[in-house]
Amino acid sequence: MTGILEWGRYVGVKLLRLLSLLAGVSVVAFILMQFSPVDPIEAYIGGDMIRVSAEQRSLIEERWGLNDPPAQRLFTWGQALLQGDLGTSMIYRQPVADIIQERFLNSVALMAVAWILSGLIGFSLGVVAAMKRESMLDRLICWYCYTLASTPVFWIALLLLMVFGVWLGWLPVGLGVPAGMAADQVTWTDRAIHMVLPALTLSLTGVAAIALHTRQKLLDVLDSDYILFARARGERGVQLFRRHGFRHVVLPALTLQFASFSELFGGAVLAEQVFSYPGLGQATVQAGLRGDVPLLLGLVLCSTIFVFTGNLLADILYRFIDPRMKEELLT
Amino acid sequence: MHGISWRKRSSQAGLSLLLLCAVGLAGCTQGASSVQESQALAASHPRDELVLAVGTEPEGGFDPTTGWGQYGSPLFQSTLLKRDAKLQLVNDLATDYSVSEDGLTWTVSLRDDVKFSDGEPLTAEDVKFTFETAASSGSVIDLTNMAKVQAPDSTTVVFTLKSPQSTFISILTTLGIVPEHAYGSDYAEHPVGSGPYKLVQWDKGQQAIVEANEQYYGQKSAFRKLTFLYLDEDAAFAAAQAGSVDIAAIPAAFSKQQVSGMTLESVKTVDNRGIMFPMQPAGGTSADGFPAGNDVTSDLAIRQAVNVAIDRNALVEGVLEGHGRPAYSVSDDLPWGNPDAVFADADVQEAQRILTAGGWADTDGDGVVEKNGMDAEFNLLYFAGDLTRQSLALAAADMAAQAGIKINVEGKSREETKKQAYANAVLFGWGSHDPLETYNLYSSTHKGEGYYNVGLYSNPAVDSWMQQALQATSEEAALPFWQKAEWDGKTGFSYQGDAPWAWLVNIDHLYLVKDGLNIGEQQIHPHGHGWPVTSNLEEWSWDDNSK
Repeated sequence: MTGILEWGRYVGVKLLRLLSLLAGVSVVAFILMQFSPVDPIEAYIGGDMIRVSAEQRSLIEERWGLNDPPAQRLFTWGQALLQGDLGTSMIYRQPVADIIQERFLNSVALMAVAWILSGLIGFSLGVVAAMKRESMLDRLICWYCYTLASTPVFWIALLLLMVFGVWLGWLPVGLGVPAGMAADQVTWTDRAIHMVLPALTLSLTGVAAIALHTRQKLLDVLDSDYILFARARGERGVQLFRRHGFRHVVLPALTLQFASFSELFGGAVLAEQVFSYPGLGQATVQAGLRGDVPLLLGLVLCSTIFVFTGNLLADILYRFIDPRMKEELLT
Repeated sequence: MHGISWRKRSSQAGLSLLLLCAVGLAGCTQGASSVQESQALAASHPRDELVLAVGTEPEGGFDPTTGWGQYGSPLFQSTLLKRDAKLQLVNDLATDYSVSEDGLTWTVSLRDDVKFSDGEPLTAEDVKFTFETAASSGSVIDLTNMAKVQAPDSTTVVFTLKSPQSTFISILTTLGIVPEHAYGSDYAEHPVGSGPYKLVQWDKGQQAIVEANEQYYGQKSAFRKLTFLYLDEDAAFAAAQAGSVDIAAIPAAFSKQQVSGMTLESVKTVDNRGIMFPMQPAGGTSADGFPAGNDVTSDLAIRQAVNVAIDRNALVEGVLEGHGRPAYSVSDDLPWGNPDAVFADADVQEAQRILTAGGWADTDGDGVVEKNGMDAEFNLLYFAGDLTRQSLALAAADMAAQAGIKINVEGKSREETKKQAYANAVLFGWGSHDPLETYNLYSSTHKGEGYYNVGLYSNPAVDSWMQQALQATSEEAALPFWQKAEWDGKTGFSYQGDAPWAWLVNIDHLYLVKDGLNIGEQQIHPHGHGWPVTSNLEEWSWDDNSK
């Protein structure tokens, strides 16, 4: 009984935190947009500036409620949000919820693949490096991780694009589906092939952090007394790692992996931009550059929930993997 | 240029890393053969299909009443009139039009044989509906001068204007007609129209697939299916290199790189760049309360000297890599531009002569001329981040320095520029198929309104010529007045007159076109790169011996 009650309280507290976080984040985002040098009217008009008289400008301002004081605009937006309405995007002239839903599916597929790949590869590399400490292999893995950790995502994206898209011609240079193909003819293979380069970009850069942390953690573990004891009993290599190392390093790796949701999201913005991949990232860039406040706020909420979920999952997983954490919760 | 050398450097530096990646990842690409097949398939698509990467996505969709089709052609809809390769007006939906003596009533007669792509006939009611919807949409379509529009019978439309406006014709050439019966909240995503093509599929953020409209009344295009890819400049160039597009718009920075199987085509434009001078002495304020005026640039001798000292051909060669032509006015080679406004430039001696005659002399020997103790020195602002504008500004400043005028070049954000533009020279870009732009830039009615006439230029003679141009009952009748506003033999806004601008260059728009694809005779493109190339799609074809 107490277990269920405790979990109930736990979820309740987390939900409250999420709500206050969302409120805070949207207010801050809104204020930042107010200070941004982007003039929404000009961004809206874009290249058509020439055709628009002062009279027409005021019509546009009126149409989008840009004349109202900022506080009132934020209030109106919050009010509509409570009724489940995220507003209408200025640049796409479509409900924000529709845009996010449509693009979220694309982005989630991309990020999920990249996340799993970078997690598995990063963890394995970290383990291998630590077990073969000071060897050539260890040095190679470390060098690779340091190099990638200090390389901008978009640059990796451009390199991959050049090599596999342009020089070798193995993979498409952009988009999420083949050019000119009717929607009902697009197969899952087509979608997967178009996802390869952006997903590769994301997982390549995601590997570094997890590999380096896992390596360090495992090195600490390997230096401990009980490992010395195990070694003394003749345990070596895979057996040693499976029996005494795995549990100790999988926890930090998982935490890190779930906490990396924010970097994942940030990376996706850049990778999607380079590969013209129609995900949330592309929409975020457009919304920011063109002062589309409703869309940007919607995206901010969406990404906050996304990152929050990542951290929450890490938290919950802890409790399952390490029973000691459950007791901590009770005290 | 910066862009290219950076790219080269980064690719060289990254070569070692890149090889390593390539080796390491070779194992991950087992699906490669099937991709190669599909790409080969894409490269050999039928002769009546095209893949284009020529412009950014119209995110708002394909609704003419909220701005679709303002550049190039609306493609899915047709317009009342259109402009041919020489920018002459020709009929499209209209069979004829007339303007009343007072210029307030425009009567347009329509074809009676036009059907929308869903088979319904197009009538005057649809035209009325389109203009009324556009006027109330609060979008970029400016119909604030239209009092009302009526449809007395099914083939006649009557527009009533609040004040005479010969440039109203431009709206008739750009606003695509939408069907009243098939117009709803999702029209922008599912447009129905009477244009040469109909939208089949729009993958947002990626591409639009269109097919020929069988109901189309005009000249049919040779292409049954078109795919428009919405790619960044870099991605479009990569797609061209990978051979997956038939035509791609590219920036001048990429123009030196060869792409096998494709030819670089330059299209002439009025996409111009020029220096706007504050015309009044310092000390004033703009309508929004920003400081206005500049004691140096308000002196005619300075403005003329800058104009004549600049070597425009050198700018074209040096900054635009040869892809452009000198600009002497806002409307070079357009029907309403005045050919007499062209002058001999790159003449430092002439600039010095003008300065001396204007009372400017270098008495302290610092290389900068003075007058009444004031140095001939002013700031020139440009939008930071625009490499072309930066290079033009710096080069122009170097050229003016030879005549003894010191120009300090500064990059500013758009917002900052807006505040400082009334008191400092600014490098702006314009260029439109609508003479109304000329009016907006030089008329005293638009002084300090947004980016129009930021220099607060005012000349009663110019105003009067332009008023007569607006009141003319046809575009043709208006032409001589526009030209006289520029230079009427005594005064005007040209170099010979008040010289409120020093126009520098017109920037060519560049397209990589697959060998054998003929894109017809292109119009002089307006400001804005990309879409306008599609305005004559019906003339495009493959050369017979190609493919």
